[in-house]
Amino acid sequence: MKSLFTIKSGGPASWALRVVAAVVIGAVVLTVPTGDSYPLMNQFTTAFMLMAAAMSLNLLLGYTGQISLGHSAFFGIGAYATGVFVSRYGWSPMWTFPAAFVIAFVVGALVSLPALRIKGVYLALVTLSLALVFPQFIKWRKLTWLTGGPRGLDKAGFNFGRKNRTYEIFGHDFFGDMRGQGAIPFFYWVAFAVVVITYVVCRGVVKSRAGRALIAIRDNETAAAVMGVNVAVTKGLVFGISAGLCALPGCVSTIRTNNVVPDSALITVIGSITFLIIMVIGGAGSLWGPILGAGVYVLVVEITGDWSNEDNIPGLLRPLFSWSSTPPGTGIFAISLIVLMFVAPFGLLGLLKKWTARLVSVRPKPAGTTTIEFTSSALVAEDAST
Amino acid sequence: MERFLQYLFDGLSIGSVYALMALGLVIIYRGTGHLNFAQGEMALFSTYVVYQMGEWGIPIGIALIIGLAVGFLIGAATEVFLVRPVAKKSAFAVFIVTLGLFQGLNWLDSAIWGDQVLPNSAVSKQQQFPTLFPNKSTDFVRILGAEWRLKYLGVLLLVLVLTAVMFLVFNKSRAGLAMRAVASNSESAKLVGIRTHQVLMVSWGLASAIGALGGVVFAGINGTVNLNLMFTVFIYGSAAATLGGFDSPGGAVLGGLMIGVIENMAAGYFPDWVGQEMKLGLAFVVIVGVLLVKPSGMFGTAKVERV
Repeated sequence: MKSLFTIKSGGPASWALRVVAAVVIGAVVLTVPTGDSYPLMNQFTTAFMLMAAAMSLNLLLGYTGQISLGHSAFFGIGAYATGVFVSRYGWSPMWTFPAAFVIAFVVGALVSLPALRIKGVYLALVTLSLALVFPQFIKWRKLTWLTGGPRGLDKAGFNFGRKNRTYEIFGHDFFGDMRGQGAIPFFYWVAFAVVVITYVVCRGVVKSRAGRALIAIRDNETAAAVMGVNVAVTKGLVFGISAGLCALPGCVSTIRTNNVVPDSALITVIGSITFLIIMVIGGAGSLWGPILGAGVYVLVVEITGDWSNEDNIPGLLRPLFSWSSTPPGTGIFAISLIVLMFVAPFGLLGLLKKWTARLVSVRPKPAGTTTIEFTSSALVAEDAST
Repeated sequence: MERFLQYLFDGLSIGSVYALMALGLVIIYRGTGHLNFAQGEMALFSTYVVYQMGEWGIPIGIALIIGLAVGFLIGAATEVFLVRPVAKKSAFAVFIVTLGLFQGLNWLDSAIWGDQVLPNSAVSKQQQFPTLFPNKSTDFVRILGAEWRLKYLGVLLLVLVLTAVMFLVFNKSRAGLAMRAVASNSESAKLVGIRTHQVLMVSWGLASAIGALGGVVFAGINGTVNLNLMFTVFIYGSAAATLGGFDSPGGAVLGGLMIGVIENMAAGYFPDWVGQEMKLGLAFVVIVGVLLVKPSGMFGTAKVERV
């Protein structure tokens, strides 16, 4: 398909587009916490957490094709690392982030060992059972001294009180005396920082030699091995990084609520499914897909949240959902998941790219100098040939 | 000895439910090579239907038949309208579709019946979920001191009979022959005039109906039905199918019974180390262990792949 404009990747026009995008995103991110709308900030914080988790899953699933339904366990590891270190050992909350990353990295690398032999749906089965076992493991009575059993852990975040008026981050008080202020903007920025870190790491992995190795493994493992890719090390490393990154939003969730319980939704298998839904709806195998997906997810959940009460449903949609005794969010996502597989396997971002390709197409740099963005170039190429 | 027998009986009965779940998974896997993640939730929907029939005062026998029919329809419709079209695209798409079904059916149940434990005195007329078997406190047989309640014993007998019937269907009937032909090589099966589409549709329907039977029976043992009922049963069922071999129906049934017995023995004899919480951990260990040591399971055929 012919597009209206063709611009070179890395050329001035392409940079101009990037700057515009960065300015728009920056403006939104900076504007949200200036108002006193705490609900909005809370929604953004939730969206940031889901973004980071879905991005970490995307690194594994979108780029190496290894299906993981166990990311809620890694999220839970993060949540419990923070909880245990702060509540039981009196750490400063921020220091638990790197610790959680390391623990989850090690666990992830261990899980990847069977993953080297187990593929496809079997791996999904193994990770699914991991996700189901994790909350049980936390409740295990042999571990109650550490995890607090079914009741979880209290006082697991910043104990902001009369004596302690600052949020200490690695020994510095960036925020100064927080007396009289809510903690919500603080959590907003922590969650945002986690998203940025996750994005940078994912981008670094994907657009590097390792990333090309990953895509090679995904598309044809045997061929990749023949070409000299060390499949075992690459897979283990990526599984570890993905798990470690997924632990970070877990840490955020603990310091945000100041406690952690084994039955909170994102730690159970529901979390894994949520991350997967976000990733698939946004667009698997692209860096911005999970970001878009998490935004849409939180938006839809927010809008449909009170739809169990019939009067809150907008007029046109009322006949569709009025019979439901629970909010229809989950059902909408389930249906859109199935529909997307029919019409747009690359998710909303894939659709977006397909449509904008009619307007502007970005010509990639010549082979060898460029970084590979598999899905988008494949889609554009497909369009060009038809 | 009495304790041992008690754990054995309980394990065999609960294992029968896992066996049904595993049997459904295996039938689908043999036919189309997909793992149906929605198997448990399809069964749960039928279980809720049977509950609703009970509310309307329909006897359990008829309710069960209707429930199984609903299960069959869900499975067949899934294959025809959802799985078959996306299977051409990729196995990943099928995985996502079954996951969407998992989520969607669970939501549908919650939308219709709410997220409460049913039956409860607030909304239902029934005291407890209808069972197929005698369920008075005096209905048990005593074997060497251990009690085997009839509703538990009945489940095991039901599964054994069903397995025998399935064995006959698979090995002695034309339909079973067609199913085996499609499982072993669908291209060739098509060439000799087998309607592979129909066979696959029936396979999914059958698998879903068997799952539904498992759901109804399990809810009968529990006495209640709720939204989380089939999560763990699905995992145990998958563990059973992995243990027995994903392409062996007999293996699935045996695997289910074994998982049930192992689980009950471990939880019973090591209440501190395993107990109720870590029973699920055993399923995890079985799945990982079998896949690492012998991925084809006890009775499955090893997959040979040409590069």
